[in-house]
Amino acid sequence: MNTSLVNRKETSKLYEKSIKLLGMNLADAKLSKAYMSVAFIALLIGGVLGLLQGLERAGLIQLPYWFNYYQVLTAHGILLVVVLTAFFTIGYFYAGLSHTLGGLLPQVRTMAWIGFWLKVVGLVIAVVPIIMNEATVMYTFYPPMAASPYFYIGLALIVVGIWLCAFGAFISVAKWRKAHPGQHIPIFAFFATGVFILLFFGSIGVTIEVFTLIAWSFGWKPTVNVLLSRTLFWSFGHTLVNIWYLTAVSAWYVVVPKIIGGRRFSDTLTRVVIILLVITNIPGGFHHQIVDPGMSQTLKFLHMFMSISIGFPSLMTAFAMFYVLEKTGRKLGGKGLLGWLKKLPWGDVRFLAPMIAMIAFIPAGAGGIAQTTNQLNQVVHNTLWVVGHFHLTVGTSVILTFFGISYWLIPYISKRRLTPRMNKVGVVQTIIWTLGMLFMSGSMHLVGLLGSPRRTSYTTYGENATALGWDPYLIFLAVGGTLLIIGVLIQVFAVFHMMFFAPKGTTEFPIAEPEVSEEKTPAWTDRWGLWIVIMLIVVSMGYVVPLVDLIVNAPPGSPPFKTW
Amino acid sequence: MKQSKYGLALLLFLAIPIVAHLLESIMIMHMHMQMPLLVISGFLMAPFFQRQFPKFFASWNENGIPGILLFTVIMVYWMIPRTMDDALTELPVEVFKFISLPFLAGIPLRDSWRKISNNSQRVTFIVFTILFYIMGFLYIKVPVQLCNNYLLIDQITLGWGYLTLAICFTTYLVYIAFIDSPKPTEVD
Repeated sequence: MNTSLVNRKETSKLYEKSIKLLGMNLADAKLSKAYMSVAFIALLIGGVLGLLQGLERAGLIQLPYWFNYYQVLTAHGILLVVVLTAFFTIGYFYAGLSHTLGGLLPQVRTMAWIGFWLKVVGLVIAVVPIIMNEATVMYTFYPPMAASPYFYIGLALIVVGIWLCAFGAFISVAKWRKAHPGQHIPIFAFFATGVFILLFFGSIGVTIEVFTLIAWSFGWKPTVNVLLSRTLFWSFGHTLVNIWYLTAVSAWYVVVPKIIGGRRFSDTLTRVVIILLVITNIPGGFHHQIVDPGMSQTLKFLHMFMSISIGFPSLMTAFAMFYVLEKTGRKLGGKGLLGWLKKLPWGDVRFLAPMIAMIAFIPAGAGGIAQTTNQLNQVVHNTLWVVGHFHLTVGTSVILTFFGISYWLIPYISKRRLTPRMNKVGVVQTIIWTLGMLFMSGSMHLVGLLGSPRRTSYTTYGENATALGWDPYLIFLAVGGTLLIIGVLIQVFAVFHMMFFAPKGTTEFPIAEPEVSEEKTPAWTDRWGLWIVIMLIVVSMGYVVPLVDLIVNAPPGSPPFKTW
Repeated sequence: MKQSKYGLALLLFLAIPIVAHLLESIMIMHMHMQMPLLVISGFLMAPFFQRQFPKFFASWNENGIPGILLFTVIMVYWMIPRTMDDALTELPVEVFKFISLPFLAGIPLRDSWRKISNNSQRVTFIVFTILFYIMGFLYIKVPVQLCNNYLLIDQITLGWGYLTLAICFTTYLVYIAFIDSPKPTEVD
């Protein structure tokens, strides 16, 4: 072994010791804290708006004309599906990059701060028109509904902010690789690379769309190609879904095994799952457009294949997770067929929340596969079923994992401890959230099957019997929403309490070790350039045919409409 | 050996009339799916032939250059719009496509790629990238039908297919040139 290698090993050992003693680098911690604060403030506001929406949708209240249902719906969507998730994801991965790569580089930190402020300013610019009822277009902002141009400008700034953070992450990983030749990218940083690649490439399409819409809503461009805009939107929309999912999965693979006292499942498999999710993802967006006219059945069929292929790495994940849980449970003394389940630390919120999230992903994933199918999608497409579906995937599988993460991440970045009392609060919060989602998402699924539409305020359609038959389910929806707002309040309290008031101390960033008899991870897994190129080829295969058709054979475009 | 069987199975699958007809019915699928798959089938079958005829490969393709040249010639031939038309209308040309792409492009590619130097690999890559850009612009810009069997919109679609692939290749070339040159020995 040469001296430089020995020196490097000693330096890294020294660094690990210093991290143990001192915890996270203060400047990096501040950055993550800023991101987390915005994320959970967005949760609070978005949650309150969600409650208002749920109560109006159930016919229990009527929102005033100056702050109507659709405005609330738009703000709820933007705050929760864009702001909460983006800020949480970036804060979480930047904390992890700092931890696993030995602190962020100063220029990367600067980039992340510029990105932070761009996103915050963008958010304010986007939200003001919503409050003024000038951008009541819902979070998908489908043309020909036209919002105020400032709404789109705000969104563009948010995207640029996200890109800065993505490039910051790429620089960090590239620098680390240069300094550590022959070593594999640490697994957490590997997840971060996958997520930021998806964030960057997935948002290119929507950025093009947003720029077109800016010109269109200012009146510089008289018309816009509606179907093309929707296609570009969903190339991003669906990728965003999988960015949340991949973020949650990172905690399932890396963090959960450590918390339950086990080891990670195969390092190679984990990396292959990430690579597959990155490669297959973007063209999956078409399954959101199954009922769109102007696309042939053959094309929709081909894209169904792309969507289903995303299910494959998810099934690999399910296998890996059950393996880890069972093995650890048995190591802890669990006997019999299911005895190991009892040995898992159910009283620890850091395990309970992601565990329920994983369980919820079983019906959520199955529902997703059902919806991807052309015929089944036509039954549920415009109904509350879809809303129920994404409250189960994003609202439960992803968000509960994020909540679970917050109970160690917030103390970690704040140099404080998770007290047994706060752990109990977390357990109660998780149970309330689960019940709330069971009621709300469950009743949405059921009433959706009965035909109750989504994106519509409460109406009985002139006392129509069928519409009246939806009412009992809608009451359950409101009950669920009420439980969820209690969950939101407890969660936000817990986050800020842990950030500022919990007892000082050190908290570990839990990263599980791979199994001892682990096979060597092949070097090709680290060749991200190759995976990006394959991803781009898959994207081309998915998009060239429909996009050329949509552009060359386009109908006359649509002028802007303000339908509200 | 398993690989060779998969290669043969792929070739036979692609030769099923209904499969061939489906893939040939859309211009971009004809050129960017059927033809590469035929090459891949040959690529997979190569080990069988390399084992059966080691002397042949050793004497005719010692340094890999003849093989890569043959591959290039065959690929360039099938990029000419006229040849696609011929394949659709003349059975012998169609048969030639099913023979030339696997056996005269796929197999030589596999046999040559590791024999040629890193620089030759890069040159091949760059040549194909430039070729793809040219073909892309050609198919997009030409205002008339280049193939009797396909519509103008199919042609434009294929042009964009070429262009996006060329962009992907360029991304890869930039990546290996500046960020991460592959070093096969570098495993921990």
